[in-house]
Order: sequence, then C-alpha cells, then structure tokens
Amino acid sequence: MKKRQSIAIYSGVSQSTTFIERLIKGLVKANTNVYVFGSHIEKPTHHKNITYITYGQKWHKLVVLIKYSILLFIFKLKEKKRLDAIIEASGKGSYLLRLKYYPVLYHRPDIFHIQWAKSLEDWIWVEGFGMKVVLSLRGAHINYSPIIDKQLATLYKLHFPKISAFHAVSKAIAKEATKYGADADKIKVIKSGLNFDDFSFELKLYNSETPLEIISVGRDHWKKNYKLALDALFELKQLEKAFHYTIIGVKNNEALLHQRSQLRLEENVSFIDSLAFSEVQEAIKKADVMLLPSVEEGIANVVLEAMALGTLVVSTTCGGMAEVVFPNETGFLVPNRNVVTMYKTLIEVSELSIEDYQRITTQAKAFVENYHNENQMVTEMQSFYKTLKPQIL
Amino acid sequence: MIIGVVLGSAPGYSETFFSSKIQGLQQSGHQVLLFSGDNSNDFKLCPVILFPKQYQSRFKQAVILIWVYLSLLPFFKSVFKFVKMERHDGISWIRISKSLYSYAPIFKNKLDWLHFGFGTLALGGENLAASKQAKMAVSFRGFDIGVYPIKHPHCYRRLWDKVFKIHVISDDIAQLTYQHGFKDQAPIVKITPAIDTKYFSESNKTLIDTPIQMVTIARLHWKKGLNYTLEALSILKKAGFSFQYRIIGTGSEIETLKFTCYQLGLEKEVLFLGKLAHLEVKQQLEQSQIYIQYSVQEGFCNAVLEAQAMGLLCVVSDAEGLQENVLHNQTGWVVPKRQPQLLADKIIEVIELTEAKKKHIIERAILRVKKEFNIQKQQQEFLHFYEE
Repeated sequence: MKKRQSIAIYSGVSQSTTFIERLIKGLVKANTNVYVFGSHIEKPTHHKNITYITYGQKWHKLVVLIKYSILLFIFKLKEKKRLDAIIEASGKGSYLLRLKYYPVLYHRPDIFHIQWAKSLEDWIWVEGFGMKVVLSLRGAHINYSPIIDKQLATLYKLHFPKISAFHAVSKAIAKEATKYGADADKIKVIKSGLNFDDFSFELKLYNSETPLEIISVGRDHWKKNYKLALDALFELKQLEKAFHYTIIGVKNNEALLHQRSQLRLEENVSFIDSLAFSEVQEAIKKADVMLLPSVEEGIANVVLEAMALGTLVVSTTCGGMAEVVFPNETGFLVPNRNVVTMYKTLIEVSELSIEDYQRITTQAKAFVENYHNENQMVTEMQSFYKTLKPQIL
Repeated sequence: MIIGVVLGSAPGYSETFFSSKIQGLQQSGHQVLLFSGDNSNDFKLCPVILFPKQYQSRFKQAVILIWVYLSLLPFFKSVFKFVKMERHDGISWIRISKSLYSYAPIFKNKLDWLHFGFGTLALGGENLAASKQAKMAVSFRGFDIGVYPIKHPHCYRRLWDKVFKIHVISDDIAQLTYQHGFKDQAPIVKITPAIDTKYFSESNKTLIDTPIQMVTIARLHWKKGLNYTLEALSILKKAGFSFQYRIIGTGSEIETLKFTCYQLGLEKEVLFLGKLAHLEVKQQLEQSQIYIQYSVQEGFCNAVLEAQAMGLLCVVSDAEGLQENVLHNQTGWVVPKRQPQLLADKIIEVIELTEAKKKHIIERAILRVKKEFNIQKQQQEFLHFYEE
C-alpha cells in the first residue's frame, strides 16, 4: 500500500490562529497525516490522522526530551549525531533546541510546513534530513517585519533561496516575498478558505435613511490603523451624517480613547473587548458596513467573513485586499492611509439603494464561495504538497 | 519651609525643569526632600528618599512589610489620622495598608508642603498631606490630565476636595481640570516650564538650506502625532520639496513609524536618531532650520522652547500648551492637530517666506523665550507658589 504523505504544520504552539486550525482540520478530514509540534496550549482537533507532540511545563519538557533522546539514540543515532552537531554550531541554548528538534527528527514528516517566517532560521536544517520545507507567506512576517528589522531581511535573503516551496495567502504577499529572494516559480498562491456551514448569509433590508452602522473587528495592533477610521468618522460627523461605529477587539487603547474624546465621538464610537466567534458573527450581521482601515494585511479573514454573512465591506487597498474587494462589485476600496477617500466612500455607501446594497453583498458572497471555501483550500493544499517529492537520503 | 516633592523617578540631567525649581527653593533658604521610586540618575541636588519596593518573593515582601509597618510606630499620630481619613472616604483596608507601605517615607518626615509632581502620583495619596498637617500641592503637566482621566473617569474626584493648591503648566491644562470635575475648590497657579536660555541660544546658521533640515525631539509615543507629521511630509515630498527630517527620541512607536516611512516613500528623508545626549541634541538643533512638534496631546514642551531659543522656525499643533508656547504668526505657527494637509501647507508657506519675514519671526521668538521662559522667572514663581 502506498504510504500516505505526512505533513507537519508548525506554528510553534499546539493551538494556532483560526485559519491555521481550519487548514489542519481540513487536511486530517481529507485523510492526510498531520503532525503538530510545539508548546502545549490546547489540542483543538481530535482525529485519528493528527498527532500532537507538545510540551508544557518544565517537568513535561524534560520527559519529552528524555523520551526522544532515547528513541533517537536507539533508532536514529547517526542522524541524532548530525543534528547535535548543528545544534552545537548554532550557539543557541542547546536544551531548548533539542527539545524542539528531536521529536521532529524522530517522526520525520515528509513536509515541514512553517507558518510564520520569523521561525524559519530555526528549521532550515530539516531540508538536510529528508524533509521538505514549505513556508507560508503571511501578514506581518513578510509585509513589514523585514522592512523594520534589517537583520531579519538579511536572514530571509540568506534562507529563502534554500526553501523547497512557498505558500502565499495572496498575490500581493507573493510578490513581496520575491524581494527577499523567494523564487516566484516556487510560490503557490492558495487563499484562505471558510467553512460556509459556519456562516449563514442574510440579504439585508438595507435602509439608507437609518444611521449607518459600521463595524471593525480585529486585535489591538497599530497595523489595523483604527485612528484613520476615527479621523474619517470625525469628518463624517462634521457633515452631520448619522452613524455608529463599533470596534470589536479593542477595549483600553489609550490612544484611541483619547482620540475619541478629542474628536468628540464618544456617542458615535464604541470599543468592545474580544467576543466569542458567534457573538462577533452576530455583530457583523447587525452592521451595515464592515470597515477595514488597516495599513497592512494579507487578506483579512474578517472581511471574508463579512462577505459570507452579507455585510458590505469598505476596505483599504493594503496587502492583498484588492484581490477580494472589487469596487462597486464586491465592496468598496479606499487608498491606504487616505482619510478623505474613506469618509467620502462611507457617504457613498450610506446613500446606496437597497438594490445596490443587496447586489454588492450577493456578489461578494458568491465571490468568497467560489474562491475562498475551505474544501477548495484543502484540496489545493494537498495538491501543492503532492508536487513536493520526498527526498531520498 | 520643608517641601516634599513626589516624583516617579528622580530627574535626569536634561530635566532642568525640576532641577532649577529645587535650586531656586534652596537658594531662598527652603529645604527640599525628593520622594521617588528610583534614583538611577543619581540625583544629588537634594536628599532623595526612595519609596519601598515591591518584591516578587512573597516571603521577602512579608518580612519587609512588617519591618516598614513597625518603623511607622513612632509616627502613630499621623498614620492614625491618615487611616481615619481614608476610612471616612470609604477606602478599603487593603488599599489603606498598601498606601501605608508605599508612602511610609512620607510619614517619617516633617513637611510643610507635599507637592505631587504629576496628578497621577497623587492618586491614593490624597490624605497624606492633611494627615501630617502639611499643605498639598499637585502639578498637572499634560498626560495626567489630558489622557489619564479619559481612561479612568472621575479618578481625581477625591483629589479636588483635598488639594490646597494646583500648579499647571499652561492655560489649556487648567481648562482640562474643569473638564474632569474640578470646581475651583483650590487656587490654580500657572507656572510655565523654563529653559536655560544661555545654553540654548541662537547660533550662526543659514536659514532654509537645500535640502531643508527639519527636526523633532520627542519620545516615539502616539501623543506626539508623528504619524501625522510623516503624512504631511509625504505631501511635501510629492510637492517636489527636498528635505531631511530627523526624529530624536526612542519609544514604542518605532515599528509603526518606520513602516509608515516605508509606505509613504520617506525612508531616505526621515532619520530616526534615537535618544541623544544633551550636547548632541543641541548640535542637531544647530543644524536644522525648521522644528516641528505636531502632537495630539502636549502639556507645553520644553523642546519647542529650546528650538525657538536657538533660532529655529517652529511649526506646532494646537494641542494644549503648544499654542501658548508658540504664538501663531508671531513667534512661529500653530496648525490644527490631526490635519496633515494643513501641516504640509503651513510648512510650505514657511519655507517660501521671505528671509526678512523669517528673521522677524525668529527674533521675536528668541526675545519672548528669553523674557517669558527663563529659569530665574520660573524660580521666582515657585517661591511665590509656596510662600503666598
């Protein structure tokens, strides 16, 4: 019987972000053997095809290290010695590296799929032990970290040419990665997918006469650029447009609290702490507009979700957003960092007829269903993995 | 008079504001005691009394706690009064016991005045001065009244009823106290910051060279509005102006600011110099023609005074004290905050002024800083503050 391909999905922890967990679930359901290595948080997927090799507290780390040291000593002594030499040469803390590396060497998945580029330096060795490295090109790790951290850019330039294949979440990020030596021919763009069973589309009875309900959802990070949204909404208020703006995921941000107060937007803007998935969905559904004021994104998941739920999207052109939001077709786009266009677009949206609103949201839903569904993502991922033949050592 | 000043940490070399105030009081025969959380700057102008530390080890913390409480026994009268007042204000026993530990050094020293250097430092210590039969003064300087109460509404409710005198550094700051519940329970006295006008004096330089040299001295903090400044500079670049802009200071916003420069195509024009020594800061000012301080929140800003004194053309925002620091169209230019297009327009206007007009503004600014913001004047004002 032909041996099934085994894939390690590595994000450093046992429970990762929504889109990585979606990929894992999809792969195991599609009969792929998946390994998850890293620090223990939770084991969110329970399936016969998934193996978690995780470590928790100090004593548990020691147990894992001893176990894999013995297994390697008995079954893969030669490789262990080679890896030990690499660990010694790295000059980093050998205890932690052994703990991280030994289980990977012992199980030796066919493909080691690194989710976050910053950890690449730690894992480049696996290519020398018969595993293929796939690197996901996602968000900050490609779009801004190497711009700010020149040392990181140098590391990328050193290691990217050695990588077997790249997975990019958007065409824009694929292009960005080539600046650091990623071979364009080795990059496969596979966009994030949603499970549409989790999202019930609703054709909204949009009424341009009622105050515009605007929502943003995202963590409290500068790249979300909520201050731009507040500046735009200040202009909207000057024009006496009725609206309410809610940001979910931001509660005690001093700068935003101050800005809201200084712009006299207390009655128009609410900040809400993180909510459960279902509550976020309800909030998105209630809103007329999902606003994405970010300066950097791959393709923001929250925008895909809003499109799936039937809420109209207004997004900046950052990252790969223009690959999803087509002006007046699946939403509205505003240039990055542009307050004037943002508030003018919000006015335009507020004046949409119900027919136009529903036309755009219906088209948006069709778009995400066609190009961002989970099954398609998993199938494309599997095909992509299969193109990578295991090395014969 | 014995004046106890409470600060988060003892002033550094460049913080002339506190040093000159302390020197002025000492020269007039008053004794100053500085209570602070640390003295890593090795401040020596007056005795520095450190507050007890918090320890990670519970055992160590318990032992030190008992020791500190025992050491308060000789000061039982004021401690008892403090506890009584705190209980009257509805403060829990746990909070009172924490305050007794934290403020122990204050109980142990005889004081006529207890002056909290920032409003936020007085939170929890509202009854300290009265328990020692001293007068309580509080300074408001910017963040403590412009930002903190937005996040913590009504935080100064107790303070307004207990404070004997309030010091503010600008009229706008005074105005903000009213927005946060102050109802004239105590006099407010404005004493603006001051600088060493001999050290910061005009050097011989050519006005507006090519490329135009611009500078800002600021912590890389959101309140400094540097993102808006960069947006304005990108407009300037698109308009065909050649310039270099230096930011002196460090802080948590470095990542976002560098990325902003990258996205706006300003990587060559904008230089992040980090934190510089006093002398290097002066050298940077000597090399520059325009000083920008486009903050969204600012108490007063000494750096703008220094820049004016050194003959730089200053363009600032209208945040709190900045519009008192710079008089619009007289000693510099004041631009509405959070409006990068307006800032860009103003910088262009300044660049294109005649040499005579620039000279006129610079001379007025220098004259005003020398007259209004010198250390001797500030020292006198503080003397009156305590003596009146």
